Amino acid sequence: MAKLQDRLNEFKRNFESGGPPYKAPREAIETMHRATAELKASGAEGRAIKVGERAPSFTLFNQDHAEVNSAELLRQGPLVVSFFRGHW
Amino acid sequence: MELEALQEINPEVEKLGARILVLTPELERYTRALHQRLNLAFDILTDLHQKTAEQFGLVFELPDYLRELYQSFGSTLDRFNDEPQYRLPMPARYVIDQQGIIRAADVNADYTIRTDPSETLSALRNIAVAK
Repeated sequence: MAKLQDRLNEFKRNFESGGPPYKAPREAIETMHRATAELKASGAEGRAIKVGERAPSFTLFNQDHAEVNSAELLRQGPLVVSFFRGHW
Repeated sequence: MELEALQEINPEVEKLGARILVLTPELERYTRALHQRLNLAFDILTDLHQKTAEQFGLVFELPDYLRELYQSFGSTLDRFNDEPQYRLPMPARYVIDQQGIIRAADVNADYTIRTDPSETLSALRNIAVAK
């Protein structure tokens, strides 16, 4: 299986050339580039918590409506926490 | 793609005694469908109203012109996330050790760039060695 970034690059290449299934218009792509550039320039990345800091703990519901508590899980082992914007 | 990539490393993550959690602003009815469709071996948690993403410093509001673009594509983010504002977390992947300290942080404002999962595995191995 190709590396994650290679797969993303391939997706991006297709999307930005207006390929199927999205057939994104040039204007839309430029708008998205602008938004990403502005977010990057705003310094938002630097405001996220960093290596060496304490992670906030959380209690949230999973896909089966079971409560999941990060502090409880950390007693069993380290965590990989990925923030995902959604399926849309 | 992030989820599929995490799924691929999950056996190795478990071997290292660790666990993957995915947090999304989406409501449970959407996480359930996504979890089933990808047949994921780890949990997807609903970070309702992005309270946890806020604490991690990841939430940003979409500019009006981008909101309008997404709406023109038919995207209804407000419905998925149960909030009127169009806000999202920046894509991020953290490795947290058992003391609750962040040992790896990959945050990128550009959602088309992600750290390879092999680097996440390296961070986990470093924790295992330090023990």
